Amino acid sequence: MEDEILRLKSEAHVALADLGKDDLEPFRVKYLGRKGLFTSMMRQLGQASAEDRPRLGKLANDIKQELAQAFAAKQDALGGGQQGVSAVPSLDLTLTGRSEPCGRPHPVTQVMEEVCGIFEGLGFTVAEGPDVETDFYNFEALNIPPHHPARDMHDTFYVSDSLLLRTHTSPMQIRTMTEQEPPLRMIAPGKVYRCDSDITHTPMFHQVEGFLVDRKVSFADLKGVLSVFIAKMFDADTAIRFRPSFFPFTEPSAEVDIGCVICAGKGCRVCKQTGWLEILGAGMIDPAVFAKIGYDPDQYSGFAFGLGIERIAMLKYGITDIRLYYENDLRFLSQF
Amino acid sequence: MKFTLNWLKQYIDCAELTPAQLADRLTMAGLEVDAVEPLCHDIDEIVVARVESVSRHPNADRLTICQVTAGEGDSRQVVCGAPNVRAGLVTAIALPGVTMPGGFKIKPAKLRGEKSDGMLCSAKELGIGDDQGGILELPEDLPIGQSLVEALSLKDIMIEVDLTPNRADCASVLGTAREVGGFIGKKVTPPVTGELPKLSGTDLPFAVEVLDNVHCPRYAARLIKDVKIGTSPWWLKRLLLAVGLRPINNVVDVTNLVMLEYGQPLHAFDFNKLAGGKIVVRKAKAGEKIVTLDDVERELDLETLVICDADKPAAVAGVMGGSASQVDDRTVDILLESAYFEPVGIRRAARRLNMGTDSSYRFERGVDPEGIPFALERAVRLITETAGGTVVAGGVDLCATLPQPVELSLRVQRTSELLGMEFTADGICALLNGIDVPARKQDEATVIVQVPTFRVDLEREVDLVEEVARLHGYNEIPTTLPIVPMSFPEDDQARSLRKRLTTLLTGMGCYEAINYSFVNPRHFDMLGLSEDDPHRQVVPLLNPLSEDQSVMRSHLLPGLLENLRRNINHQQTDVRLFEIGKVFHHRDLDTQPQEVMELAVVMSGRRHPGAPRLHDGEALVDIYDGKGMVAAILADLRLSEVVTIEADSSSPAYAVGQSSLRVVSNGKMVGRIVRLEPKVLKKFGVKQETYFVSLDLVALVGLTAAPKVFASLPKFPSVQWDIALLVADQVGAGEMLAAITEHGDSLIEKAEIFDVYRGKNIEAGQKSVAIAVTYRAEDRTLDDETVNGVHKKIIKMMQTRFDARLRDA
Ligand SMILES: [Zn+2]
Repeated sequence: MEDEILRLKSEAHVALADLGKDDLEPFRVKYLGRKGLFTSMMRQLGQASAEDRPRLGKLANDIKQELAQAFAAKQDALGGGQQGVSAVPSLDLTLTGRSEPCGRPHPVTQVMEEVCGIFEGLGFTVAEGPDVETDFYNFEALNIPPHHPARDMHDTFYVSDSLLLRTHTSPMQIRTMTEQEPPLRMIAPGKVYRCDSDITHTPMFHQVEGFLVDRKVSFADLKGVLSVFIAKMFDADTAIRFRPSFFPFTEPSAEVDIGCVICAGKGCRVCKQTGWLEILGAGMIDPAVFAKIGYDPDQYSGFAFGLGIERIAMLKYGITDIRLYYENDLRFLSQF
Repeated sequence: MKFTLNWLKQYIDCAELTPAQLADRLTMAGLEVDAVEPLCHDIDEIVVARVESVSRHPNADRLTICQVTAGEGDSRQVVCGAPNVRAGLVTAIALPGVTMPGGFKIKPAKLRGEKSDGMLCSAKELGIGDDQGGILELPEDLPIGQSLVEALSLKDIMIEVDLTPNRADCASVLGTAREVGGFIGKKVTPPVTGELPKLSGTDLPFAVEVLDNVHCPRYAARLIKDVKIGTSPWWLKRLLLAVGLRPINNVVDVTNLVMLEYGQPLHAFDFNKLAGGKIVVRKAKAGEKIVTLDDVERELDLETLVICDADKPAAVAGVMGGSASQVDDRTVDILLESAYFEPVGIRRAARRLNMGTDSSYRFERGVDPEGIPFALERAVRLITETAGGTVVAGGVDLCATLPQPVELSLRVQRTSELLGMEFTADGICALLNGIDVPARKQDEATVIVQVPTFRVDLEREVDLVEEVARLHGYNEIPTTLPIVPMSFPEDDQARSLRKRLTTLLTGMGCYEAINYSFVNPRHFDMLGLSEDDPHRQVVPLLNPLSEDQSVMRSHLLPGLLENLRRNINHQQTDVRLFEIGKVFHHRDLDTQPQEVMELAVVMSGRRHPGAPRLHDGEALVDIYDGKGMVAAILADLRLSEVVTIEADSSSPAYAVGQSSLRVVSNGKMVGRIVRLEPKVLKKFGVKQETYFVSLDLVALVGLTAAPKVFASLPKFPSVQWDIALLVADQVGAGEMLAAITEHGDSLIEKAEIFDVYRGKNIEAGQKSVAIAVTYRAEDRTLDDETVNGVHKKIIKMMQTRFDARLRDA
């Protein structure tokens, strides 16, 4: 049987070599068709011994494939495709592909997830809290008593005397610390509100606040963690500087700047010619905050930091108008 | 806080720093510099000139012809329109050829027929002030022809520092100079040093009585008689203008200057307007009012500290003076106040009266209680210098319990641990002494710090740790990573669900929207919600920015509809937007509202927005897109078993009744799929068919997903038999399908509707439903006979339950 297969092979190849344009279809029917010689040959394989059958089957099949390819090449060479009823219309491969395009998450969500992802990678837990907060969690427990000038830094929306829209996600520090014992590593992403609206401020924006508390946590550790974050979020060789600032719930407090991503530190309008962009606030958790919770500040220390998502997205993507975030215009959303 | 570089240099020699370096050092010391700007721009060519004589313009009432000298041997005719032009006036001139700030080039011209050879300039035109009284009036002794910039020392640089609330001590040029001294290793030279005059005396022509020495622990005052009120000398005006203050008169200007210099707000009363020649410091009485310097009548309440004369309030203490005792052109004798007011009280008063002033800013952060007599002495000297007058010997300086200087001890080891680097006692002392905070080493482990009264922010050990870090330089502290035990955070299921939904929905072609959490309450009427609809129980804001953002949202739909309108208006009519966000449900006034995370989707326009029209055509979205979307989500979340989608008989007003579905779990509604009512859409400015899907994510998180359990793959082939049935139009094809899968035989593997047809060849009121049923047995290949048996049972059930007839093939 093997001989027969090989004989058929050479016969077909000889015939193929002499083929003219009009002989194409008869050849196809004779050798490759459904009732052609190769097909009937395959059917006869049933008669072969069980041990030979797989090998012979493969051989016959390979030869048929090879012949089909040679035939297709011949067809192309002769410039005639399949004709008549069985002919396939020629494909216009320049036409657009068929797809159902995906949408995208909002750029704020994208950046928020990126930020959270970096900290989750460092072992931080994500926690979320209420948008409508009590004055206690938003201010008092964070060392901002009612008549502290630091309240000027927060233009607060009030719901009642004791309820307000959180001005930062820092209340989650307190909520977490009152419920759990150190060591703690946590980030709190979420919406925050300030009654302020102009070209650079929207009354609602997104923040990620994070903190770490344990024994012997130092300012150097704060610098380390934030440096890792910035290197991941921006670029491994982004310039960073820490400078003194003030937040009532941290001391020492710092503002963290990165080398301007727009002018590469040379000075431009965005960085007010300083070459630096402020991107987050941070500091060592103030002992007064620990005292409110009942942690011994001589036993524990920790740091906290907060950053605005919209601002980071603006810097990363070069967005120039903060109001675009909340118009939800598809021409904007589809860019990210 | 603004100051100029030359002003700063009066107290500290910092010539070794360029303005840019100075700004950088200040910023890195925690005094963030917001702006560094030359005081004046493009006026280098302006020179000092004198008007020699004036005459009326023959052709214009408001113009004057002036003969002007602009230098040695110069004489020219200039036409001027300023009301204050007069012979002898020394002013500034832009000569022909000079370009003014703003680009206007001066040329010889004829004004109403009269030759004009240059332009006399006002402060405003030169960009050095906003004085609109006419052209600049300069001291008569200025050299004519000299550059104005040189003559007025205008070559200066304004520096603005954005002060953090803790650094009250730097709300003064002297305080800032002290910080500069810290980083260049020099000490400041204050304008007043040495022995001060004793402020006591029994036979003073005035009296001061402090009735509330808790809120006013120190009050000092002196009397200056026979002053001559007038405009301030140019140097004084220039400093005030440079930092954005309006010069008023020589006495008021001096008090403002000293406030900026020392950080100590002062107030000058017209002594002769104080009834009884007396000052009484007390809380306001019920019903008392005062007209403040800004000409507003203000009602005072019992908590507000006021400075009174014998009868009535003359100033709101620490905030603003009263107009009745204001220093004006006719003032002869002035009583000068320098006091310490308790910060919280001042802040309360300023907030309540809604008048934050330069004065209240400083008092509420805490002024230096020991700086009071120095600031007073400085002001007395400057007033007599600029306004003349005689200082009445002695004065008043009433001291009660002032904030006392604090002694703090700082642990060296604690400092090193908190900052993450080794410090020594000597090193710490050197840093603190550099900014006039006296520190001495007690032993190697402890530093004793004598906190000066001007540093009101240094109250605790940690405050000193921050000073050490700041003075050492944050960037000189090493960068390390904390060593923390490993931990395994709990999964936050709500967050995981949101992330999964975002992935699914974006995969379905939806873009994510984020809207403000506050909305316009009018939305509820626009949605047609009934008066007692629970969504109307909103949480209002007490101080919204606008009606549009005045209540916390209780529904996500309005925001998305506004987004939809916006997109359609910008010619994007194929829209799929979703939002995952909180809605807020009111509980009671002092309880935090219930915050519920919801998902909402709006779909409008083409079924596959963005897909090539070539392949997908113009088919519009319909209710099945919504239903399919929810079904796909439920399947993905493995909740299909516990959540069902059913027709909604009580659909909300914003839904088209017969196109409304609800998503139900355990008999509770957890979502909706609706076609929005065109009338409602119109109210939101949307004119095209739109569908809305919502899901309550809190409810979904609470459900148990079907476990993933392996079922072995079938070993035997299945067979598929089709059935075409005629049923009445109102029969739900889905119910027929459900009947087959739920009540049929165990051999039925699945059933699928593949066609629903009405019309030709089907009688009216009927439809044809074609269902493909797949049969399979686990243990054998099915023979036709067995399948036929089950198939017949199905047809029978269809006939009895749905009154169906087999359609002829
Ligand atoms: Zn830049």
